[in-house]
Amino acid sequence: MLLIRAIVRPEKKDDVLAELSGAGFNAATMVDVVGRGKQKGIKIGGMVYDEIPKILILMVIPDEEKEKVVKIILGTARTGTDGTFGDGKIFVSPVEEAYTISRNSKGL
Amino acid sequence: MKEIMAIVRMKKTGATKKALVATGVAGFTAVKVLGRGKLVTDPQELDKCREKLLAMGLDDFSDARDTEKLVTSFLDGSRFFPRRLFTILAHDDDVPRIVEAITNVNRTEYGIGDGTIFVLPVEDAVRVRTGESGEAAIW
Repeated sequence: MLLIRAIVRPEKKDDVLAELSGAGFNAATMVDVVGRGKQKGIKIGGMVYDEIPKILILMVIPDEEKEKVVKIILGTARTGTDGTFGDGKIFVSPVEEAYTISRNSKGL
Repeated sequence: MKEIMAIVRMKKTGATKKALVATGVAGFTAVKVLGRGKLVTDPQELDKCREKLLAMGLDDFSDARDTEKLVTSFLDGSRFFPRRLFTILAHDDDVPRIVEAITNVNRTEYGIGDGTIFVLPVEDAVRVRTGESGEAAIW
């Protein structure tokens, strides 16, 4: 299993989640976060904004679905045709075990 | 070293905290999150949920149609519900104990929506106060 952490624009979150749900990946958790990227935030006039609001989407998926999920997020979270700075990042980390509390069982 | 991510009901935060302290975990972080689970397609389960929710919602002041609409939107699977995300660092041997403790206090009669627990490997941990790293930094 893999944990997908996707940081996306708040205005793109609904698109991403709807597309994921349509492809059969309904389960997700989201957290409001603030962050900055390689560009060190946005500079407007003399003011630097380095705490830009984003949405962090967490989802745990089977190994073989990785490509599919990453492709969906990449496809929907991008702005414009070539993408822009601030569209976000996706991180993938391994998950060793998962338990479902209601069924008291192992597995997703 | 393992990281345990447990997503539980808001109402169960207190009980989970108590259970974690009783189990003897080093410490934990809790964050408010929004989440949704696997799509429930079993009509029997859905009907059970719908009945329970409708029974809860109806009183003298609410409109039956509004309640029905709300309950339907609750059950279509696309809505996000508030949950609490616990992050716990633990030694490898303690993981089964902690998972069991969280599971025991978080199971409810409602079933669906009780939450999920994930166990992730951790490369390293450092305690800021002393600078010690590895297993010593956890507990």
